[in-house]
Amino acid sequence: MATEERQRSSSDGDRPDEEFLTGVIRDTGVPDAIEFVDVHKSFGKNHVLRGLNMGLPEGKISMIIGPSGTGKSVCIKHIVGLLYPDEGDVIVKGHSIPSLSDGELFKLRRKFGVLFQDGALFGSLSLYDNVAFPLRQHTEKGEDEIAEIVNRRLKEVGLGDANEKMPNELSGGMRKRAGFARALVLDPEILLFDEPDSGLDPVRTALLCELIKEVHAENGGCYVVITHDIMSARRVAEHISVLWKGRIVESGPAQDLFASENPFVRQFLSGESVGPLGME
Amino acid sequence: MGSLLAMPREWLAGSGEIARFMGIVVRDVWTGRVLGFFGETLRQAGILIIYSTLVIWSLVFITGLGPCGIEASYFNEATGTPAYSGVFAAWCNLREAVPIVWGYMLSAKVGTGIVAELGAMRISDEIDALEVMGINSMTFLCATRLAAAWLVLPFMYIAAVGVGYLASYIAIVHQVGYVSSGGFLLIFWQFQNPTDYLFSVIKGMTMATFIILVGCYYGYNAGGGPVGVGRATAKSMVLNLVLVNLISMMGTQIFWGGNPRAPIGG
Repeated sequence: MATEERQRSSSDGDRPDEEFLTGVIRDTGVPDAIEFVDVHKSFGKNHVLRGLNMGLPEGKISMIIGPSGTGKSVCIKHIVGLLYPDEGDVIVKGHSIPSLSDGELFKLRRKFGVLFQDGALFGSLSLYDNVAFPLRQHTEKGEDEIAEIVNRRLKEVGLGDANEKMPNELSGGMRKRAGFARALVLDPEILLFDEPDSGLDPVRTALLCELIKEVHAENGGCYVVITHDIMSARRVAEHISVLWKGRIVESGPAQDLFASENPFVRQFLSGESVGPLGME
Repeated sequence: MGSLLAMPREWLAGSGEIARFMGIVVRDVWTGRVLGFFGETLRQAGILIIYSTLVIWSLVFITGLGPCGIEASYFNEATGTPAYSGVFAAWCNLREAVPIVWGYMLSAKVGTGIVAELGAMRISDEIDALEVMGINSMTFLCATRLAAAWLVLPFMYIAAVGVGYLASYIAIVHQVGYVSSGGFLLIFWQFQNPTDYLFSVIKGMTMATFIILVGCYYGYNAGGGPVGVGRATAKSMVLNLVLVNLISMMGTQIFWGGNPRAPIGG
């Protein structure tokens, strides 16, 4: 899907937004770890994904950006099989997610790490036990080895001294970092971040972005970050997919997107009020 | 006409969904899949013992003391048979009061607790987090709670019946005192046997099973933020109270309706 630049055809090209929803997908030179193939998803009358075609390349930090309510978080839920498309396919590492059995899906999910918006730490467990949880469930490692891994990961995210704290004793930023540490402990091949910057001040957002880059440089893998924060995109993204109204506006290497001529992409990536995107 | 049928159709679909959910959870326990989370099962068992035992026994004690003890004394005194207070106490405790009070308190303490806990986990993405870690969240959260209940609650129930008996003994023999200890106990034990005891345990455990499953269903499927969790908790309580009374009525009908199992008249 990412091997050649192509234009997505549309049957309803007479709508005013259609001229911006070009669906241009630029070549990244590497195969895709995750592919969305003509994915449609509705919740009642709300048609969220409307024929989404998108590829997220292997070994890169990809960002899915777009206005609120445009289906970004729904994309993450499709990748991990928490939601299934009404139509189309989601392919992860060559596996069609909707076609997998429950057992196969649970096995595949062990290759994922997910950082949820608020960390999604288990409220009944201490920070240490939260991070140790995946190791205890999925590995045969002894407590000494688990302690070594957990302490290393907690130190990496700057929470080395907080391991006995309960989640309700942590600030929003600390919970996100703790969620990050937990997402990392199984050395996932794919790491998904659902708005890691939401609710954080600019300095902590910058620090978290640096952390994501550092950890990626160390561990590699396909990282997918969902955000509508342009500063984060500029700091972290190697690949950007701009999503609007459940479809791709444009997708490709970050530098190409920042130089895009598409008025919607230009407006969104520069954060200007004048352009195709209004308050509606 | 369509709108008239909409509500029963919705109700029927909802019942089917609850039944399916319950079937999956029971299957996970029955097939031993839950043993993959034996540690969590033990943790849930511990929570049940520590946080629910005393409150359930306390309510059973009050019921054994009042409705099944004091009422027994005055009713039998009024009919000129104070020596037969033990009949009232035995039947009241074993067959009706303890199972119902057990069901009420279990619904209020354990059922709503499960809805609130799982509902909060649902809206804060903790259940999704479990799923994406490759853990079957229904087995981990619901089957472990049911297994823990099956592990712990029979013993808690048996002891609860004992607590009810003790309370009635105190009320009839020591508080009101129309009958001697020996006279009370002679009749009291004549009007029950191990089969009655087994029927009572079946009644109590059927209630407990439904209460846990209803709690899990409403908590696991909660949505709509904190308000949604509150609504789910209320709905679960309503359904559990209806189920407790239904199970109590059906249990009495099935176990003692055709044959009261009373040693009267040969």
